[in-house]
Amino acid sequence: MSSALATVMLGLAFGVIAVRRRTVAIGVLAAQSLALGILAVDLANARSGYVVAAVLLGKAVALPMLLYVLIRRTPEARPVTAPAGPMMRLAAAGTVALCAVVLTPPLGLGAPHTEHAAVALVLVGIAIVIARRPILFQLLGLVVAENGLSLLAVSAPGGLSYVIEFGALFDLALIVTVAAAFAQRIHSDLGTGDTELLRGLRD
Amino acid sequence: MTSFVPLLAAVVPALPLAGMVLALLVRTQRQSDALAVVTAFVTAVAGLVLAGIALARGGEPALRGQWYLIDGASGVLLAVIVVVGLCSALLSPTYLRTSGRSWTTAARSRSLYYAALFMFWGALLAVPIAGNLAAVWLIVEATTAASALLVAFSGRRDALEAGWKYLLLTTLGLSVAFLGIIVLAIGQANAGHHNVQALDWYALQATAHSMPAQPTLIAFVLLLAGLATKIGWAPVHNWLPDAHSEAPAPISALLSAALLPSVLLIAWRVKEILQPSVGAGTTRAVFIAFGLTSMIVAIPFLWRSLPFKRLLAYSSLEHMGIIALGIGFGTPLAIAGVVLHVAGHALAKALGFYATLPLLRIQPNAATHAPVAVLNDSPATATAMGVSLIALSGLPPSPLFLSELLILLGGLAAGDLLISAIAVVAMALGFLGLLHALMEGVIGDEARRRRRRRSREEQPIIALTAILGTGMLACGVVGVLLLPGSDFVATLARGVL
Repeated sequence: MSSALATVMLGLAFGVIAVRRRTVAIGVLAAQSLALGILAVDLANARSGYVVAAVLLGKAVALPMLLYVLIRRTPEARPVTAPAGPMMRLAAAGTVALCAVVLTPPLGLGAPHTEHAAVALVLVGIAIVIARRPILFQLLGLVVAENGLSLLAVSAPGGLSYVIEFGALFDLALIVTVAAAFAQRIHSDLGTGDTELLRGLRD
Repeated sequence: MTSFVPLLAAVVPALPLAGMVLALLVRTQRQSDALAVVTAFVTAVAGLVLAGIALARGGEPALRGQWYLIDGASGVLLAVIVVVGLCSALLSPTYLRTSGRSWTTAARSRSLYYAALFMFWGALLAVPIAGNLAAVWLIVEATTAASALLVAFSGRRDALEAGWKYLLLTTLGLSVAFLGIIVLAIGQANAGHHNVQALDWYALQATAHSMPAQPTLIAFVLLLAGLATKIGWAPVHNWLPDAHSEAPAPISALLSAALLPSVLLIAWRVKEILQPSVGAGTTRAVFIAFGLTSMIVAIPFLWRSLPFKRLLAYSSLEHMGIIALGIGFGTPLAIAGVVLHVAGHALAKALGFYATLPLLRIQPNAATHAPVAVLNDSPATATAMGVSLIALSGLPPSPLFLSELLILLGGLAAGDLLISAIAVVAMALGFLGLLHALMEGVIGDEARRRRRRRSREEQPIIALTAILGTGMLACGVVGVLLLPGSDFVATLARGVL
């Protein structure tokens, strides 16, 4: 089951890089985070594991809600035009994921499929940040990469210490809050969340 | 005194965090400034006591507890973070007087500024004393959140761009580093070590010999590549010149003088713990490669007529490269140079950034253009800039002249003749670039100089020039007389644990 959920998570990451509308992208991310939470429940074999799974499921609900509030506060007249079409972006994400599958050596987990999916998610997250101009999509790229890290962490034998898991989630919450503040400020300054307009600093 | 260490290790980072909470509660600008001064002095006293204890132990084994590790390197970094943090906090009211409102009302802006400053300072103070790799990663991530807000504090479009770029790139970099930590944790779990203590520096060092080579090598590469983003090593330094140039001057000083070397200490510790499994040749090569690349990439920018803060940012790139090179050489002479370089660079760079406060008042277009003959307008500001540039360029009697010499001699002692030769050329070219900035931007044309009365607003920079300049000279003397051949350096050369 965990292999299937890891594949679903990777497929949903492709969704984030392909879709145009911000609400749809947040929905896709919520589904991905939910898949991660279910996978954590499936793998949990001790009390701390269930606590981590519960927190991940909570994140799957709370984070999309926060992001939805953000897009309500930063309305866009129309979606930001992407420099590359959805098929081109999907092809780029597919290439990145393929590279992860081919090039990732064994990481010690003993589950190559999960290892490949986790590394591919981190790389696709980075690809989303690079390929998408709207500030919200760049933020979603960070969360996709973070979900990839959580996938690897919950799949570790016995799970990663819940102290580390909680710390990482707290840091993610902190970063997303600061990023949301930036998104609001940039939107109020530019009238849009298009980061292409933030290109004044050059040498 | 060592019995107080556990308490001090908890109190030192906690004091600024308490200041952060109080900063959000106070109502007037006057109360905010007073709180900042009190918090800064109390933190500085506690921090210097802890740094003093660590440094006074010389070559004795590190002090460690469940969550802390205090060795000689911790002592040096703590002292640097305390001094630069204190100066930045004391200079902040001067900056805020002229900054006006930023993201919100002026009074609220001031509270938010101090809250973010103290959160940033508290997290920075925790970095060199954290005894666990995962914990230190979490703390570094927290520094990103606080300092990104500070970088964009002015609310100008360029500052927003710099802050957003900094937040995005360093978070992605730290995600890559976290991937490395998870790979290490999986290795520890496979060996039966499941709890968070499995990622203590000492636990990792104890099990490094038995770790499988390939996953450990992957973890090392991921950790170094991720941390390099935060350190600002080339080629992953893109955020550095933007963030340093757009942040308020007191924050730029903390970013350059304290944050970069603190994260570099983590990279150094990672090198030490994983070296037995990865191999000394590989770890040395990675550090030397990052070092030389950073030094070479910085040169063309040091030769250009850039705004002063941007020039200082590229100088940070060069100096982080020099420190990486010294750690890569790893000989006692090179490590003595590294210790002296961290301290000397911090004082010189902080003074340079502080000098931009009066500079932007007398030459407002210096925010976007290279300064021109500052000596004509303000001898005090020109002196501060000159002292900073002379020190950073490595002109005698700068402590950086001595530290660079020690690092190069260390390289020769390690048998790295070609690398040392390339480093000499890179240092010389960097020196010429900064010398040009000194001649054109600071000294200028003597015939056009005019006499003017000293302004009251120049008093802070005069005092800081005297204090930090004396500190640099003291560093140089102490560095040459005490460091080479000392037990302190010999212990660090054996490993920063």
